[in-house]
Amino acid sequence: MIRHLLKLVWNRKRANALILVEIFFTFLVVFAVGTLGLFLWDNARRPLGFDWQDVWAVRVNMQAGSDDTFTAEQVETAARLVREVETLAPVEAVTGAMMEPFAFGQYTSGRTVNGRRVSMSVNEVTASFAEVMRFDVVRGRWFQPADAALAWRPVVIDEDLAREAWGEEDPIGRRLGDPDPKSPEPERRVIGVVRDFRHHGELSGPDNFVFYHKRLGHPQDRPPRVLLVRVRPGTPVAFEEELTRRLQAVAHEWSFEIAPLAQTRESAFRLRLTPLLVGGIVAFFLLLMVALGLLGVLWQNLLQRTREIGLRRAIGASRAEVHRQIILEQLLLTTLGVLLGTIVVIQLPVLDVFGSVLRPQVFGSGLLSASVAMYLLATVCALYPSTLAGRVQPAEALRYE
Amino acid sequence: MIQLERVTKKYRTERVETTALDNVNLTIDQGEFVSIMGPSGCGKSTLLHLIGLLDAPSGGSIALDGKPVERYGDRALARVRNERLGFVFQQFHLVADLSVVDNVEIPLLYRKTTGKERRRAALAALDRVGLASRTHHFPGQLSGGQQQRVAIARAIVGKPAVLLADEPTGNLDSQMGDEIMGILQELNQEGTTIVMVTHDPRLAERTHRVVRLFDGRQVQ
Ligand SMILES: Nc1ncnc2c1ncn2[C@@H]1O[C@H](COP(=O)(O)OP(=O)(O)OP(=O)(O)O)[C@@H](O)[C@H]1O
Ligand SMILES: [Mg+2]
Repeated sequence: MIRHLLKLVWNRKRANALILVEIFFTFLVVFAVGTLGLFLWDNARRPLGFDWQDVWAVRVNMQAGSDDTFTAEQVETAARLVREVETLAPVEAVTGAMMEPFAFGQYTSGRTVNGRRVSMSVNEVTASFAEVMRFDVVRGRWFQPADAALAWRPVVIDEDLAREAWGEEDPIGRRLGDPDPKSPEPERRVIGVVRDFRHHGELSGPDNFVFYHKRLGHPQDRPPRVLLVRVRPGTPVAFEEELTRRLQAVAHEWSFEIAPLAQTRESAFRLRLTPLLVGGIVAFFLLLMVALGLLGVLWQNLLQRTREIGLRRAIGASRAEVHRQIILEQLLLTTLGVLLGTIVVIQLPVLDVFGSVLRPQVFGSGLLSASVAMYLLATVCALYPSTLAGRVQPAEALRYE
Repeated sequence: MIQLERVTKKYRTERVETTALDNVNLTIDQGEFVSIMGPSGCGKSTLLHLIGLLDAPSGGSIALDGKPVERYGDRALARVRNERLGFVFQQFHLVADLSVVDNVEIPLLYRKTTGKERRRAALAALDRVGLASRTHHFPGQLSGGQQQRVAIARAIVGKPAVLLADEPTGNLDSQMGDEIMGILQELNQEGTTIVMVTHDPRLAERTHRVVRLFDGRQVQ
């Protein structure tokens, strides 16, 4: 029967082309939105790598100097700020960083390791960062204040980066970046590895991460742009005012902007969920339109085929068999559309469009769910027309020329 | 083999009720070749459709092999139509998008057969009607007579006990008509019961018995 129907579908290619094109494009859209959704969901269920609760971010604006120029006095003031905050009763720990987790925007860097280009996100943090953000070092060690005296610059990397740069080998003691006489960069060596650190939040994809050591009060290191303050659980919001007052007392000219990390985290969520929401709404309406269109086209096709259906009934097809045939035909057509769509979509990983961001399992699940969605859509749309087809009366259908 | 008792068929549309058949009694025995004649609109096609179980009578009863068919469900009816009956239509009713051999295979799709067996049976049936050389043509590429022969091949591919033909030569010239009639006669000689509607007295003469209808009633 399948072969018979394939011949029918093929010999009616002109009438079926429209349906095929609809299925093809809908498949692409459903795949895109579905894969995005699965991607975010897959990310969300993985560990974040740090603890954001009860951490406040204080963005520091020195009101002078550009991004890279700063004065010795500013460096000194920043160190005093940290010391001042440490003394406050509700504060458990303070650290300085280039940026806070969940923050919009990122600093990425590419390095050549053993001749291979590896890209990574960077944050520059002071030694107390691990204590404030509460994460463990799985290999080697974290920064210590004494590291300021080293002739080379220590870095701590996350497992993603360790795996990409050195595979299963031990990264401790290795140079991050091959020697390059043209580059002014100091030599950086790996001293520790932490679990996947997901700076961009729960919804972000896999990301290679590296921490540079920011030496607080060191004349060569830029003062932190942000202070991360871990407060005792239950600290009231009112502490924000006192904190500002104390900071302002140390640096009158500077300005400070305080927000709990929880808040930054929420805006990060919003930023990543908006495209999914918009895409989801678009896909939903598209599906609705395609469903209606498909229903119409199927119906139209069936009206034109009443005589053929009557004939099949007359020479031995039961109601159920006609019903089944129409649905099967629709499923065959869907298979063609899905196959075409898959051939197109499969080019993305073949051309390495996603790099390592999209895990193969997520891609596969996206493909699978888009296919299932198309089969569901096709079946639902074929249900009513095929019921009508089953009701065709042979004597009636064969009467008129 | 087929018995119609006091069969009536009425068509009801919104405004009018047409009595297409009125109290028809007819028995067709196994191996018979019966022709049905009568003016246009007298109910010949209606009668053939009832015999072929394509439609249900408004009154009276129809029995096949001694069993009344009223109580048959859809599946059982489909099965009888498929295995016991073969139908040839005045307008051929071939599926334009399928090749000749695929058209002939259609009845076998609704039985348990293998693809190979289907193909073999279809080719044999086409050979039977003298179309072995046209199996991969499409209906649109054939003459009227050839198309009707394809329709006959399709009707006999499942080796039915009864062949029902509604003006099988109506759309053909007399030479083609003779050819088709020859095939039907051969089939009848091999044991197939045939009921044929025709306008042509010359063809009716060559059958065992003529049933005449006038305005839905049997005459004589
Ligand atoms: N589905 C229907 N609805 C309403 N009236 C019908 C229907 N089918 C047949 N009739 C009427 O029943 C009568 C018999 O029709 P039928 O087709 O059986 O005639 P016929 O003898 O085969 O004619 P012809 O020689 O022209 O084919 C006609 O008056 C026709 O108009
Ligand atoms: Mg007729």
